[in-house]
Amino acid sequence: MNNQTSLLSRRTFLQGTGIALSLPWLETFAAGSPGKDETPKRFVSVYHPDGVGLPLKSDPAWGEWSWFPRGGEKDFQLTKVLDVLEPLRSDITIYSGLSHPEARTVHGHSNADQYLTGAPIGGEGSYQNTISLDQVYAAHAGDFTRHSSLVMSTNGGVGGPRGAQTQSYNREGRPIPAMNKPKEIFDMLFVTSGKDAAARLARSKSALDLLIENTRSLNRQLSSRDQETLKQYLDAVRDTELKLVKAQRWIDTPIPQVDTKNLHLDAEPKEAKLYFQTMYELIYLAFLSDSTRVATFQLGRENGEGPHDLLSQAVGLGGAHGLTHDVKKPGGWKNLGTYNRYQAEEFGRFAQRLKDTPEPTGNGNMLDNTLAMHGSASSSFHLSRNYPIISAGGKNLGFTNGRYLKFGKGNEDNQAGAGIDTDAGWQSKQEVEELPLAKLFVTILQRLSVETDSFGGYTGSLTRV
Amino acid sequence: MKTLKLTMLLVLGIAWTILDADGQETPTTFEAAKEQGRSKSRFLKETKEFAKAADAVPKANVAFFHESVGPILKKSCLACHGPEKSEGRLRIDQLNPDLLSGPDVERWREVFNALSKSEMPPEGETDFALADADRGRIVDWLGEELNASSLTRRNSKQHSSFRRLTNYEYNYALQDLLGLPYALADKLPPETASEDGFKNSSELLQMSVMQFETYREIGLKALKRATVTGERPQAVTYIISMPEEMAKAESKKEDKPADESKKPKRKPRNQQQLFNRETDESIPFPGGKTLPRTDAVAGQTPAVSPVVLVLPRSNELKLDLDRFLPDEGIMRVRIRAGRSTMNPDEYASLRLIFSAHTSNNANFSQVISERDIPVTATADDPQWIHFDIPLSDIQRNPFRKLTTTFPRRDEFLHIHNVSNAPGGEEPLQVLIDYIEISAPFYEQWPPKTHMEIFFESANKSDEQVYGREVLNRFLKRVWRRPVTSQEVDQFMALFAKYRPGFSTFDEAMVEVLATALASPEFLYLTQRATTEEAKSPARISELELASRLSMFLWSSIPDDELLKLAEQGKLRDPEVLAAQVKRLLADSRSRRFSQIFVEQWLGLERMNSVTHIAANDPLRDAMLEEPVAFFEEVLKHNHSVIDFLHSDYAVVNERLAAHYRLPKVYGPHFRSVPITPQTNRGGLLTSAAIMTMNSDGKDSHPLKRGVWMLKRILDDPPPPPPPNVPEVDLTDPEILKMTLKERIANHRNKAACISCHSRIDPWGIAFENYDALGAYRTHIKNQPVDATSELFNRQTLAGIDGLKRYLLTDRQDQFARAMVHKLTAYSLGRPLTFGDRADIDNLTAQFRRRNDGLGDLIQLIVSSNLFNSK
Repeated sequence: MNNQTSLLSRRTFLQGTGIALSLPWLETFAAGSPGKDETPKRFVSVYHPDGVGLPLKSDPAWGEWSWFPRGGEKDFQLTKVLDVLEPLRSDITIYSGLSHPEARTVHGHSNADQYLTGAPIGGEGSYQNTISLDQVYAAHAGDFTRHSSLVMSTNGGVGGPRGAQTQSYNREGRPIPAMNKPKEIFDMLFVTSGKDAAARLARSKSALDLLIENTRSLNRQLSSRDQETLKQYLDAVRDTELKLVKAQRWIDTPIPQVDTKNLHLDAEPKEAKLYFQTMYELIYLAFLSDSTRVATFQLGRENGEGPHDLLSQAVGLGGAHGLTHDVKKPGGWKNLGTYNRYQAEEFGRFAQRLKDTPEPTGNGNMLDNTLAMHGSASSSFHLSRNYPIISAGGKNLGFTNGRYLKFGKGNEDNQAGAGIDTDAGWQSKQEVEELPLAKLFVTILQRLSVETDSFGGYTGSLTRV
Repeated sequence: MKTLKLTMLLVLGIAWTILDADGQETPTTFEAAKEQGRSKSRFLKETKEFAKAADAVPKANVAFFHESVGPILKKSCLACHGPEKSEGRLRIDQLNPDLLSGPDVERWREVFNALSKSEMPPEGETDFALADADRGRIVDWLGEELNASSLTRRNSKQHSSFRRLTNYEYNYALQDLLGLPYALADKLPPETASEDGFKNSSELLQMSVMQFETYREIGLKALKRATVTGERPQAVTYIISMPEEMAKAESKKEDKPADESKKPKRKPRNQQQLFNRETDESIPFPGGKTLPRTDAVAGQTPAVSPVVLVLPRSNELKLDLDRFLPDEGIMRVRIRAGRSTMNPDEYASLRLIFSAHTSNNANFSQVISERDIPVTATADDPQWIHFDIPLSDIQRNPFRKLTTTFPRRDEFLHIHNVSNAPGGEEPLQVLIDYIEISAPFYEQWPPKTHMEIFFESANKSDEQVYGREVLNRFLKRVWRRPVTSQEVDQFMALFAKYRPGFSTFDEAMVEVLATALASPEFLYLTQRATTEEAKSPARISELELASRLSMFLWSSIPDDELLKLAEQGKLRDPEVLAAQVKRLLADSRSRRFSQIFVEQWLGLERMNSVTHIAANDPLRDAMLEEPVAFFEEVLKHNHSVIDFLHSDYAVVNERLAAHYRLPKVYGPHFRSVPITPQTNRGGLLTSAAIMTMNSDGKDSHPLKRGVWMLKRILDDPPPPPPPNVPEVDLTDPEILKMTLKERIANHRNKAACISCHSRIDPWGIAFENYDALGAYRTHIKNQPVDATSELFNRQTLAGIDGLKRYLLTDRQDQFARAMVHKLTAYSLGRPLTFGDRADIDNLTAQFRRRNDGLGDLIQLIVSSNLFNSK
């Protein structure tokens, strides 16, 4: 096949069905990617609902309680909301001007579903999501670890359409249930025996043996040209066998012993601090033991009610969702900012813990080999634009930190949509230019060694990152 | 009679002579054009067989290189790309000018790209500047040669019909095998289409680990759906009986002080309500919460009640089913309904929608019925309508099992009246007196799908004997051939390994059968090198013929009758084969053939990426249905395929007829209606879907339409554009001022672009009277539409009429051959090659002699050498 036709057919191939189509692709590339002995590349995404505080400049609260930093790329100053991250300044990057284009005119409450997928899920009617960023990477790196990914949220399960309680979606766009009980997560990671799995594996093995025998006898009756075609099938069966051998190896490999002193496995969301720290610690231990290289964590669901709303009790405040509605009341911006500050503090604690732990392969510290994202699909009240995103780590993956990266045009001081507390906000016209968040996802995937140049139908990466 | 015919011929003959003498003019009517075109057919003139022509293989045009291209290259390029300097490691003097068999195609492609984008020679190198005419000469020559080269390389390769099933074939095969009418194969990774547009093309059907693992997963899941274990599960049943609802509402009202004045005693107004047809009493009824009845048994037939729910057009009854529907199994919704009026031009039909609203802004609603079911009975003698919905396949409320009440757990069923009824004095409404919702619903226990696999047998108690019986029957259907006892042995050995891990025979056997569903002989269409027919080793066996035939016309595995005939060696008997083709086409499964072939032949998938019409717009559905319905009409009546170019009928439903401004077409079903040339319709070329998908989102797109014509209709695809062609700069005020046609001309007149564009654009410009949704227009922005263009052979195409007349008079053979080519490639599941050309020519000649009937073509293909060979 010549160059141009291969380019063309690939292009049409990708146009046809978006991301789902690039998967057989990833599958082929996974074969050549770094194996078990090299330093793991890790990805974790933490999602918080309800956005952040974004007062108008004219508001006295602007000085201290507006989420985004002030100043330029390197000389930025953190406001009181994020100043807890000051010690990690050289390990973090803060982004503005990014959002998923399809969500910009949909009510913020509906949008946790699409934060990692970018799918055009809309605000009502029939519902279809697409694969999430973490799962694209899990398809690539999942074979190297016991668990392909760790999916957690405070509320657990999948939630409802446009009311997600998980950040992860498989390649058919179906939600992957999130785990929310520390004890269950710990057992899955560090206790579970593989008895059922072993029986299943043994059955699969016998079935594959039969199929190989079957294929051989068919093969003998085919022309040599058709044998070439059938070889693909035989290879697929054999590769599946190899995967079984690998899976068997996990069953035979002793479960890693970990230090449990920071775990409070019975903690519930209402004991916010203990719960938060235990969940983060579980991700840390899963990474440290290389049980998985991919994790997502959703701090509750959009639109309040349920366990996540209690997380704000950690800083002595009432329901978290209510904080976004009450910004115009006395002390409102401060309250929301205080809660956002607390979220940043816990994220910072987690990043610091990774930073303080040398990479087991000796290649820097664990944070250097991990990209940790923290963000929301709303900025201001119910407004799915200008997502507030922080990333930490990833130095060895090629991320240059210590920067505040502004993308888009016309909203350099983050005032578009600021100060709103009604639905007029998300229904308003888009007057500033933002870039598709999918472009950041492409950059992240590329740095994680996934060979792709598009995500969710958006092609190209963010070069400045 | 004879005289009349003769006179007719004479008249036509005279007409032709006059027109021919006139040169550019074409016949007056489309009919005359068809006749004239037919008389020109070389296939009809040729009496002998088409030989395997050696000259069918293109040859490199090296002569033109030596005469013209070489000297120009020498003049303008050699200084930097020659013996002195070889920039970019390119020695222009050392490239082999034979692109068809030479080794330098890739280097030539780079040269082509650089020259066509005017990157070379560099600006400022005035000594070596390339005159436009010279650049055009090189680019034209290279374009032709590159195209011929890729064609040659593609078509000289041998292709086999040995291939795996496509996703949709696999899906239908599983459905037919297990008797499960659901989408089973959605999880498989998507597939790409071949150059011809077909997804069943052998060279593209790859196998990967992911694919294989998905087959295993799907197969096991489907088998588990088809079979059952244990006792019949208790069904959850809801009953909404309108007289009961009326009584409930009455009693609620009686609690309040009576207000006689408010009791309406008149004909029901056109609003949703409960209505007593005897007393004219009515009460508004929006639906509401309903709970399962523990004592209820589904399938009841209570006496018809005068108390009915009145459901006007576009209204819906929204039932809150709370959280009691089971996770899986069939939900059967039975509705007894009639019509309030019987005007045949008005229709009303029922649709089911399922929804939940779990918290603010977290909601969904989804149409769950596969198609709307028309209500045709009178209110006095109502009909039963039933829907079967697989509960595990639809979006459910994930919170339904919460022990707390938030997020909300309820699930809603909406019964919606889809209708064209106008309002007025006697509006058409759907009148419903009884609704029953039951899940899981089983016609029988164990269900038929289970009994098909685990059938009754005297040996049922002996697992060894019965196991072999089950396997024998199952494997035969899966592999489409009789199985040997050694083969059954292998599977029994697997069963022996599995059996201890399961508590029942059935469960262990299901796992074994799942393995058969991942076996190569199920997933691939085989053609054995060694067959029983030693005389003609190139032939496929009759069993393989049976599979090829059912894949062609049903996109699925053969049924018992087909297999039996093949096993008995009778299938190849010409009469038997012809009768089987007829039988397969008459079966409802042949609808898949029309749907899939038309979709892929015309490239209708492109409608999926169209954004200027909403995905749920009924017009969009109608657009997509039209070409398939048209094809079915032509197939059913064995009409000439020339009707695809132009016909004096249109196949439309009410929505599409309104779009085409065809009067008096009522109802959602498609039917053939006669049309006049003044409607500017007829044939497939101007169908709304084709026009819409070949638009740019705002307006028509002549280039896309032209490429589509060449590729899909005339089987003469233009070469792909060079990479990074600059977009037309719409910020340039000079360009903005131009009309579309002028813009195209402006682009085309660049030396590097002209050769391709002059072959494409005129075809597309002829469609300018059709807007971005395919509606006919005479003006664009107050300017009259200019749809006249000139083909590269100086043929003038005056709008769509001119285009059609030209195709009918001068391109019939090309189109007929394209049709034969496309259908044959599809039927074989492989690309055609140079080696197939003579066969295709001969098929085309036979086909044209039989007056181009589509049904005849299918018979011809099935009985052809190609279809019966490996």
